[in-house]
Amino acid sequence: MNPCNLFRAAALSCSLLSAQTYDLLIKGGHVIDPANRIDRVMDVAVSGNRIARVAAAIPPSQGRKVIDAAGLYVTPGLIDLHAHVYGYDGSLFPDDTALIAGTTTVVDAGGSGWRTFDDFRKTVIARSSTRVLVFLNIVGHGMHSQYESDPADMAPEPTAKKIEENRDVIVGIKTAHFGGVGWAAIRSAVQAGRLAKVPVMVDDRILTNSGRTSREKLLDQLRPGDMHTHIFNDRQLELIDRFTGKVQPYVWEARKRGLLFDLGHGAGSFLWPVASQAMAQGFLPDTISTDLHATSILMAQPDMPNCISKMMLLGMSLPDAILRSTMNPAKSIHRFPELGTLNEGAAADIAVFALPSGVFAFKDSWHVKRLGTKRLECVLTVRDGKLVFDRDGLGFPLWSTAGAYQVIP
Amino acid sequence: MRAFSFLVLTLALTLPLSGQEIYDLLLKNGHVIDPANHRNGHFDVAVTGGRIARVGADLPASHARIVVDAGQYYVTPGLVDIDTDFNWIGSELGLKPEAETFQSGVTTAVDAGGSSWRSFEEFKKLVIDHSRTRLLAFLSIEDDRDADAVAAMAQKYPQAIVGIRTRNAIDAALKAAERSHTIVMSESGSSRLRPGDIQTHVYSRPLTSRKSGVLYDVGHGPDGFWFRVAVPMMQRGFLPDTISSGLDRNSATLPRATMIDVMSKMLNIGMTLPQVIERSTVNPARAIHRADLGTLSEGAIADVAIIEQQTGKFGYLDSGRAKLIGDRKLACVLTVRNGQVVWDTEGLSLPDASTAGPYTNFK
Repeated sequence: MNPCNLFRAAALSCSLLSAQTYDLLIKGGHVIDPANRIDRVMDVAVSGNRIARVAAAIPPSQGRKVIDAAGLYVTPGLIDLHAHVYGYDGSLFPDDTALIAGTTTVVDAGGSGWRTFDDFRKTVIARSSTRVLVFLNIVGHGMHSQYESDPADMAPEPTAKKIEENRDVIVGIKTAHFGGVGWAAIRSAVQAGRLAKVPVMVDDRILTNSGRTSREKLLDQLRPGDMHTHIFNDRQLELIDRFTGKVQPYVWEARKRGLLFDLGHGAGSFLWPVASQAMAQGFLPDTISTDLHATSILMAQPDMPNCISKMMLLGMSLPDAILRSTMNPAKSIHRFPELGTLNEGAAADIAVFALPSGVFAFKDSWHVKRLGTKRLECVLTVRDGKLVFDRDGLGFPLWSTAGAYQVIP
Repeated sequence: MRAFSFLVLTLALTLPLSGQEIYDLLLKNGHVIDPANHRNGHFDVAVTGGRIARVGADLPASHARIVVDAGQYYVTPGLVDIDTDFNWIGSELGLKPEAETFQSGVTTAVDAGGSSWRSFEEFKKLVIDHSRTRLLAFLSIEDDRDADAVAAMAQKYPQAIVGIRTRNAIDAALKAAERSHTIVMSESGSSRLRPGDIQTHVYSRPLTSRKSGVLYDVGHGPDGFWFRVAVPMMQRGFLPDTISSGLDRNSATLPRATMIDVMSKMLNIGMTLPQVIERSTVNPARAIHRADLGTLSEGAIADVAIIEQQTGKFGYLDSGRAKLIGDRKLACVLTVRNGQVVWDTEGLSLPDASTAGPYTNFK
């Protein structure tokens, strides 16, 4: 019996006992759990660090801590497939940027390479409450402009070996910003991906004299399950043909073949004219991700709820956006159903959101705004069964009735 | 020659008045709260060349490159947060300023003891010198209590080091502060603090009397702010001289202790908005002997915050995670640092997509 089933069996047998108490009970929220086709008001119960039960009308007396989530949305903790939390000059710490946004898992997109990963693991991953997973850069020194264009530092074998030794956190390979001539970076990354049996995330630039002028040729080198990030800018995939205004046929073709396309908003890769035309033609990102870093966090503010709100502004439904922020990214890194769902027995990573109406500005990477009427806001985050963010204090008692309290658990 | 100088001076003074001046940025019709200049009312604030060019009524929008309609908001000097932890290179609990300052309207943050005389220069080289937020520092004296070495470092970098931070090495801290002509920020109360020194965490234990001239600071953080202490003290009229966040890795998410959240908490336990702004701008600036900051005086560096006061029902947590329900909440909607808009949640300074034209090479 695998551990997941064991948990499920334990949860099931416990739920038959009327005296069952859960550590945490989130009551009355509108649960969106695309993996289980749940899109209605339900209660979510947590025991330890696992989802114990999702059902209608679990009595409040069964929760040690009860959160009233009426009027709010409850989803699996969001998974940000393109984050920067190490190595890159503009990297941020995960906890104070992710947890306040309902993001419980970030995947660092190439900050570290096989030479620097151990330091990343020790200094950031081990010290963060956020679950930090890793796309290992094919460049041994990681996301360092000094090395990014040096094919001599792109060794598939040591990269695959480092992945093999750290399967608990490394989920794929990243290649980015290769300024040299030809396809060395892409080929090394895909080769390492084959050796380690993990997907590759590509962020390639068309550069004068690089010989890489054909996007078609780039996509041809990728395998089903590999992904291109930064799809909504005007210079990488050339997603929209500038003469016809249509999504490029080779992109549709690649999608049919199983390649994945990731948002990766950032400071340069979400432009209203590209995103709105693509989405109007039905080309939606498979995965929604932020590329949040020291620059993009300021004016464009693309945290996960912001990216989701922008997708909704362009016509995506909230459940569809949650699908592309939870189950889809979890599947793309082979972490489903451990992550990305509220399955009983899954990791208790949960986000609670408000969706207020009003007039809100949303800014693209070049600081042009569009006004929208809905904005997703994170209210509360549970990571590994623990409340780690609680904007409105939903999970805590009033000070005036708490007596001579110390730190309230 | 003298007559010529007089002519130039006269021209310089009259040119703006005659309407020849072009502003980089004009914040129109916001409710300006600028306690340093006793301003509390609707004014326009114009910025040119990184400086406050003019504050007045009805400055012409046609003279500005960027016009922000601040009619629904409060316009204040950029906030000065004198208790932060941004030495992420050297301190276990250090945060990165990019994620935690402009978002709150903070344009000047003082790292309070995250570096010592031994580690300050590395902190300066790797963090302070790269930060768009103005970072200053209180040096920690705890590790070796070497007052001479701390004073020497403070005197070497008078632009960046504003004082000495101590938990319980008060004697050494006072000695270092005296030698370097700076101030002490102390976590524990001491009868030896001098006028101008700061006692922080003022709402961690009940205080009944103030020592004349000593400044009392909030310093919220993971253990510095408790409603069960603050509410009764506030009811007795014990207001803080300065409001600061005490923000670090243990207080950035739960409880949320960003500067703007801490100010919201103070607003909801009995302070008026002008009192809150005064204690978050001019008071902390003067406390660290930087009267050039925390003000919208004409000629001052253009650090500005635009703040929204929301009404409704809001929950706030203290260091013990006990909750207070309040009816007001402050949010920073726009921040100007050194004349540049660096934070703009509502896009007030930005063009709409419908009028932005073909702003990519994609048509």
